[in-house]
Amino acid sequence: MRRALEEIRIEHLTKSFDGFVAVNDVSLTIKPGELYSFLGPSGCGKTTLLRMIAGFETPLTGRILLGNQDITQLPPYKRQVNTIFQNYSLFPHMTVYENVAFALRIRKLPNPEIDARVREMLQLVKMEDQAAKYPNTISGGQKQRVAIARALINKPKVLLLDEPLAALDLKLRQHMLIELMNIHDAVGITFIYVTHDQSEAMSISDRVAVMNQGNIIQSGPPDDIYERPASIFSAYFIGDTNLIPAEVTSIEEDYVDLKCQAGGQDSFEIDSTFNIKPEVGQKLTVSLRPEKIAVSRTKPTELDDINVIKGVIEDILYLGTHTQYIVKVGNLKFRVFDQHKRVYFDEAALDWEEPVWLFWHDTDSWLIDEVTPAGLDVGEINVFERPIQMSRGGKRIPRSE
Amino acid sequence: MNNSRHRNTFSQLEIRQVKKRNLQSWFLSMPSLIWLTAFFAVPYLIVIIYSLLVSDIYEVKFLFTLGAYREILSGAYFKPFFLSFRLALITTLFCIILGYPVAYLIARSSEKWKNILLVLIIIPFWTNFIIRIFSWRIFLSTNGMLNEALLSMGLINQPLEIIRTDWAVIIVMVYVYLPYMILPLYSVIEKLDFTLLDAAMDLGASERKAFFKVTLPLSREGIFAGSILVFIPALGAYIIPQLMGNQNSLYIGQIITYKIKNIPRNWPVASALSLIMLIIIAVILLTGFSIYQKRKFRRMDEAR
Amino acid sequence: MKPGSLYRRLNLSAFTLVMIFLYIPILILIIFSFNNSKIVAGWKGFTLKYYLLLFQNEQIKLAFQHTVMIALTSTLVSTILGVLAALGLENKRFKGRKVLRALVYVPLIMPDILMGVSLALLFNFLRVGTGMLTVFIAHVTFCLSYTVIVIQSRLEGFDYSLVEAAMDLGAKPWLIFWKVKFPLMVPGIVAAALLAFTLSIDDFIITFFTSGRGFDTLPIYVEGAIRRGTITTINALSTLMVGFTLLLVITTKRIRKLLLN
Repeated sequence: MRRALEEIRIEHLTKSFDGFVAVNDVSLTIKPGELYSFLGPSGCGKTTLLRMIAGFETPLTGRILLGNQDITQLPPYKRQVNTIFQNYSLFPHMTVYENVAFALRIRKLPNPEIDARVREMLQLVKMEDQAAKYPNTISGGQKQRVAIARALINKPKVLLLDEPLAALDLKLRQHMLIELMNIHDAVGITFIYVTHDQSEAMSISDRVAVMNQGNIIQSGPPDDIYERPASIFSAYFIGDTNLIPAEVTSIEEDYVDLKCQAGGQDSFEIDSTFNIKPEVGQKLTVSLRPEKIAVSRTKPTELDDINVIKGVIEDILYLGTHTQYIVKVGNLKFRVFDQHKRVYFDEAALDWEEPVWLFWHDTDSWLIDEVTPAGLDVGEINVFERPIQMSRGGKRIPRSE
Repeated sequence: MNNSRHRNTFSQLEIRQVKKRNLQSWFLSMPSLIWLTAFFAVPYLIVIIYSLLVSDIYEVKFLFTLGAYREILSGAYFKPFFLSFRLALITTLFCIILGYPVAYLIARSSEKWKNILLVLIIIPFWTNFIIRIFSWRIFLSTNGMLNEALLSMGLINQPLEIIRTDWAVIIVMVYVYLPYMILPLYSVIEKLDFTLLDAAMDLGASERKAFFKVTLPLSREGIFAGSILVFIPALGAYIIPQLMGNQNSLYIGQIITYKIKNIPRNWPVASALSLIMLIIIAVILLTGFSIYQKRKFRRMDEAR
Repeated sequence: MKPGSLYRRLNLSAFTLVMIFLYIPILILIIFSFNNSKIVAGWKGFTLKYYLLLFQNEQIKLAFQHTVMIALTSTLVSTILGVLAALGLENKRFKGRKVLRALVYVPLIMPDILMGVSLALLFNFLRVGTGMLTVFIAHVTFCLSYTVIVIQSRLEGFDYSLVEAAMDLGAKPWLIFWKVKFPLMVPGIVAAALLAFTLSIDDFIITFFTSGRGFDTLPIYVEGAIRRGTITTINALSTLMVGFTLLLVITTKRIRKLLLN
């Protein structure tokens, strides 16, 4: 099934609904054969972007290029792009077989060819024995497979997936995720995947574009975004993090000294390596992932390149794979994940109200060149999430948002 | 109730409750049951009896005969039946053609507009039936507004003779029955998942093809319901042909009414004609529903 | 280039056409009711004389009284019977359910003429003189199906956890009915009554077969006047009737709004 692949170029794409800017001057390039994700909260514009690539929405400005062809103004039925819809959108009045055959019937291919290709597709998604059933009699996972077969039968250059796993339960979702990756390997075409679920995006994608309020905040391989967030939004939306307001006090040869305001009179000092070039006196934010912090009632002895601060345990949540501690340092609350690995710290369980030491490596204090927004604290719900706008004057709104 | 030791006592109690409830239901339903039996079901028995009697100028003689049926079988009433059937069919078709786009437009409007548009469809429907027909007579009459307008625009040289033709009957029939088609169509189209259209277009279907392959098959139910609501009452139309049509093409509703009302009366023939109409309607409904059910069952069989 | 635009335009033109089609007769009536001419053609100047004539016409007054009387009584009876039947039909295990449902649904699709003929023959068979009583019976019969269905459809959406909650709070069945269930049924009952009322004042065919000479309702009078050709006041009468139904629609909306709030 492999054939010449083409890259997708999106240039300065903008789309608005009645004054609400859904996609704001977005440009990006998706390499041939890549599995690329748009990740972001509700209303961030990811589905609108996908719908423009599919042809269901026409952009206000900008261009979409598939290879050298400008497809911006092409109707959906003339694009070599197919979509897997969030609710699958299988035709309820057709059998599984007829659903898969739909695109070929439209093209009026001869019956033997249709039959061969439908069988091939059903085999790919392991649904050969369900061909005669109607969509309302099969399970959610099976519907998903049919939707994949139906979208792939026309041999599209790009497959768009709009929150394809949102309707499935957790176990099935994990299973289908692997299946999707296998199918991606098998057909080798470009997949564009839209999701609000960061773990889905992280595990499946070659590259991820993090979106917020119609803009791409950061794009890159998943580990890059997780380990090296370029903004508070990226750090906060993807995974858990502690955001510490800090001020640069001095710049040394291979590290930076920071003074962290912990509210009131309290402050403490930490070090960080350079991931940006700060100036003395600059206010910025330190992002510190909870799993990078160690917690112990004894102060560590080796202090080279290690930050150590003192706090008090405020809350303990046992979560099976790890324990989450909420540790209070001044007015700041740190979230700390402690994996239950006795080889490192073999000490009696920590208790509420117990004074403890928090320590982590200098390189894990990640600097973000933004002032910490007020009110951002542990336990805070995602402040970037916007309320879902249900109706914009009767215009159709992207479903998943 | 979950305690197994008590299950027996509870089920006894439950049985008593069910019995009490059924008795209650009988009491509640009795007035309507009696009323509808007496004034809806029994009258048809009377119709059967009267169809077997001998006609008199004013009423009937209680002598049993098959004369009425013999008269009908002689073929004298074949034409009115045919005309009524044709009228009902044409009315239904026009209602589908006109009603479908309207129902579709309303179903795809925003919530606020949906209500406004639906009320706009229903208001004329709430205006007196006879009066609306009367108004059409004024509009379509030889020196009526339509002709005046067409003459003054120079589209015609002499007035069109619309009134007292079958066309006038059809126009008013469609006018009267259109809401009966629009409403069931609307309720089905409104429930339709419009992302299916996106899916069809995504798979290469043009707008036209998406409509014929997806939207239309999925609104079959509404077309079916609407057609029944239009076709069957249209079959018995009396007053519209009476006020809009001419005496050369009499419809079965008119024949029945004349035989009941006009002197010399012929109630046995009117009764027999009514019964035949009833049987035709029953046959249409039963075959319609069985085709419909079969489709459903076949789908379920294949699913198994 | 937006998908659906072509079809939307097509639908919009069809809709406009249908709207013109639906409203032409009503507009004509209203305009010509003010026309100073004996025949209904050509504009001869504004007048209110037909409205005055209307109020002097004893026959019309009588027909109006008949119409309202029949509408009120048949609405009352058919609504009460409808409430009872709907409550009875709620019980899905009840044996008479199928029969009652058949008796309720079948009249809905039967052509009016069949109901008219069968009732006319029934009254002849029973030697009941046609008049107010026979018209009343006929109207209750055709309204009943509608009231049962409207009230029943409201009951179908009824939240039984409310009854359970009331029981949990110690209310006796009778009290539950009056304090919980009945108030929730009221919007359905009002809708049913209004529907019955409009159906009753609108009916021609069935009344035509069941009313004797000397008992005219408005539609019967109007039809007779059209046939006799005495149509000068009918436009005015029609306009008033259109206004009346519109008023009814608006009050219905108001009442429904009040009830829902």
